[in-house]
Amino acid sequence: MPGLVVRASRSFRFVFLIPLFSLVLAGCGYNNIPTYEEQAKAKWSDVLNQYQRRSDLIPNLVETVKGFAKQESSVLEAVTSARATATSVKVDANTMTDPETFKKFQEAQAQLSGSLGRLLAISENYPELKSNQNYLALQSQLEGTENRIAVARHDYIEAVRVYNTELKTFPGWLWARLFYSSSKPLEEFTVADSVKTVPAVRF
Amino acid sequence: MIRRTAFALVAWVCLTCAGLAQTPAIASLTFPVLTGRVVDEAGLLSAADRASLTASLADLEAKTTDQLVVVTLKSLQGTTIEDYGYQLGRNWGIGQKDKDSGVLLIVAAGERKVRIEVGYGLEGTHTDAMTKLVIESAILPAFKTGDFPGGIKSGIDQIIQLLRGEASSGRPVQVQTASPASSGAKIPVWLAIVLAVGGVGLLIYCAVAGGAVFRGIMQILFLLALSGRGDSSRGKSSSFSGGGGSFGGGGSSGSW
Repeated sequence: MPGLVVRASRSFRFVFLIPLFSLVLAGCGYNNIPTYEEQAKAKWSDVLNQYQRRSDLIPNLVETVKGFAKQESSVLEAVTSARATATSVKVDANTMTDPETFKKFQEAQAQLSGSLGRLLAISENYPELKSNQNYLALQSQLEGTENRIAVARHDYIEAVRVYNTELKTFPGWLWARLFYSSSKPLEEFTVADSVKTVPAVRF
Repeated sequence: MIRRTAFALVAWVCLTCAGLAQTPAIASLTFPVLTGRVVDEAGLLSAADRASLTASLADLEAKTTDQLVVVTLKSLQGTTIEDYGYQLGRNWGIGQKDKDSGVLLIVAAGERKVRIEVGYGLEGTHTDAMTKLVIESAILPAFKTGDFPGGIKSGIDQIIQLLRGEASSGRPVQVQTASPASSGAKIPVWLAIVLAVGGVGLLIYCAVAGGAVFRGIMQILFLLALSGRGDSSRGKSSSFSGGGGSFGGGGSSGSW
């Protein structure tokens, strides 16, 4: 009978140690690294979404401009080829930690931003094009998308900052060493300015 | 006994660390206080204008739950209206939390810029092209002649029409059920469950196990109670407040 009591109280202890243990782990930031990592990945999908959206707008824009300004074929081709390059560089959640791919992706998008900027600039020389309803709609969508890209990039950078800080500071640093050895710091945007500048268009 | 004391100590240190780590992010921009549906920092509107705008904006929210807010700013604090706009919308939390159904009409008097900022949930119906059209056709012509109240009113009328049209064509119309209060209640519920399941058991265990661990547990409970304070100040009141919606840069801008 005494033996039974001891055994009962042991399993009793065990049952109540589990919530204590999980509480302490959660309080110690055991969950932070995977949580922040998932958040950063979600923000990254937002960024990719917005770049994709921009990419989807381009063929329509190129066609519209072509209708009014055929002679600008070099600029139109530059946009089309930059778009092809940009869509060929894929950075998904798994390659986020690879600096090389990440850099390539940024450069390709920056290139596309640059050639798009030129396309919008030459459009200024064609009054008929500028007053075309289709062109105006596309132009405002493109401006909006550039703005959404800026917001998504900003949110991503912030999420990465939180995650990378957690990896490097106590107690996250300890958890990373002990349990999340596969969690690597994520890449931040470094080719910033050329992408950030929204193509300036005056009416 | 030493092991128990050490364990309690580590637990206490960890929880203290967790508390310290939650320092709020410092925003580089300052935002006006959300005093109502019309925040006229730049002083472009008369009291009568503000009242009539507020009435139609409140009417809109009652019918569609969409939150539309007019704000005039003295200055953009050195940033662009696009950058300021989405951060202001997020800061105020305009729009219902689960739908992100908020719209801001922002007028920056100093920079001569105007923007319609559209929450995530309304980007589908308030496309960039449509908001551009509202700005170009309804707002800017009046602004160019210096008629700010007129431009704001006709712009708001058009935005309301767009939102109404959307509401009548399919989207279920429901009366707002004080969502700020329910979002504030989340943490206490969570806390109550944790305390009920974990706390009671722990206390029984501690009574069996003895001194040092008991003190550790009390520390944990105390710190948890501290961390649960969060949203409790955000009670239900008759004045206007944001529903917790978010923004992602949708909408468009213009200048005069």
